[in-house]
Amino acid sequence: MSAFAATIDAWKREKGLLRILSASGQLGYGIPEPAFRAGLARKPHLIGADMGSVDPGPYYLGAGKLATARRSSKRDLGLAIVGAVRNRIPFILGTAGTGGGDPHLAETMDIIREIARENGLNFRVATIGAEMPRDTVKAAVRAGKVTSIGPIGALTEADVDGAARIVGQMGMEAFQRAIDLEPDIIIAGRACDTAIYATLPQRLGFPVGPALQMAKIIECASLCCEGGGRDAMLGTLEGESFILESMNPNRRATPMSVAAHSLYEQADPLSVAEPEGILYLADAKYEAVDERRVRVSGGRWEPATQFSVKIEGATWLGARAVLVAGSTDPVFIAKAQEIAASVEAMVRELVPPNPKRPYDLFFRFYGLGVVGGQPVTTVPEEVGVLVECIGETEEEARAVAATAKQYLLHAPFPGRISTAGNLGFPFTPPEMTAGDAYRFSIYHIMQVDDLAPLFPVSIETIGG
Amino acid sequence: MKLIDAARVIRSKNAGPTQVTLDLMFDSREMYERALAAPSLKAAVIAQRFIVAEAEIIPYPAANAIKIVLPRRIIAGTPGDTDVYGAQQHRPILDLEI
Repeated sequence: MSAFAATIDAWKREKGLLRILSASGQLGYGIPEPAFRAGLARKPHLIGADMGSVDPGPYYLGAGKLATARRSSKRDLGLAIVGAVRNRIPFILGTAGTGGGDPHLAETMDIIREIARENGLNFRVATIGAEMPRDTVKAAVRAGKVTSIGPIGALTEADVDGAARIVGQMGMEAFQRAIDLEPDIIIAGRACDTAIYATLPQRLGFPVGPALQMAKIIECASLCCEGGGRDAMLGTLEGESFILESMNPNRRATPMSVAAHSLYEQADPLSVAEPEGILYLADAKYEAVDERRVRVSGGRWEPATQFSVKIEGATWLGARAVLVAGSTDPVFIAKAQEIAASVEAMVRELVPPNPKRPYDLFFRFYGLGVVGGQPVTTVPEEVGVLVECIGETEEEARAVAATAKQYLLHAPFPGRISTAGNLGFPFTPPEMTAGDAYRFSIYHIMQVDDLAPLFPVSIETIGG
Repeated sequence: MKLIDAARVIRSKNAGPTQVTLDLMFDSREMYERALAAPSLKAAVIAQRFIVAEAEIIPYPAANAIKIVLPRRIIAGTPGDTDVYGAQQHRPILDLEI
């Protein structure tokens, strides 16, 4: 019998509390082992982890690459999967491989097969795809069923065709179909982090509001504790309420620390949109159980009359090359922007852009108001210099960066005293290629009538 | 009193790639209410500080906190961006008088 089926059967016989362990909110960046082991000792009914996000930017989604190092991903996946399989505890991983697209899922599965082989494990894995069929998205665009999230343009069919990859965020519906396949573990593409933890409670008949409310908090592991933290977090679902406890005994969840966590990375702290409805948190209550545990209640679930899926897409722009340098010359620093303009004109003359597709060239002087996008009030004694080119090809981008290097180094300007060179380089070569450049071209909500065709499930047995 | 001296936490972070959100957290209900009532923390003033078209101010009394939601000037990671995670956008409000 699969770990999911056995756990569901056992819970139905005994009823009572449901213990869910969140192993990590960022799998692949290092699961702290002592807290994870302490969590295993509590005999959770489910272990969950989230591995992805749009936070690291469009590159990973577009390129189909993991943001986490393979060896770090393998270490964390090994800890979670060996712990789950040996103890017959179901495991769910959401947004596999950073981006949650097909190549991300494939590489994550490759690592998992390696882990199974090396540990002599045998288990059933259900996978859930999350790449959106372009025809479906284009039909939704034509039918006026796609809306922007924040300041991004209305989606066009050309955007859909132009994207390197498009994923959708699955909700509990997709995970329910995966559980139907009787797996031991579920590895999902792009997914709502809440659905990782709320699907099993929903399956067992727990009220969805508090289950999702708990999911929303524990998906970041111990981040809801005072001072934050990455340690595994245990959520114990009681029904209309739940108890939060960090598996690191030094971390304390307090009513204030948990309430404050609802603000994190959310545009609206009082509601959370899921494909199948909305979670409302305005009536949330936070009470201390003791000095490091909190009981939470009040999450209210309203099923939607119309399903909707958040879709994300990245478009390939070109190849990137960058130059890293610095300057301590006060005259250069005072005139940096105008010097950059003259150097840019020289570069565009010496490396003529393709008129149909001119390269992008940026000069950034760190210390003069780059990061915040606003001018600084005091001029520093030293500035960092970053020149970035996005060209049609790697060769073009590198040619632009190398030319910019030479002319910025030797650019003449009125009042120049340091006539041997304007820049200090930290290493050689100071200009380097930085792979492909992408942008988010899709960050929209798509209304759909049927979720199942968008998130196909399949099952395979690994090992044995 | 300046906001940087009044608040325990003043942080910024993306809420998705198209928006950035700032969280102001205060140690006491009094300080939270003082900040909420301050003319310098009105949406129009904040929008002007960040040079964006609009700002949304969301009071969150459960944590003595105020959330500010801003449109990003450049979508996260698009060429020309200088803060992909949006984690360093809090500076323009540090010296607001409350």
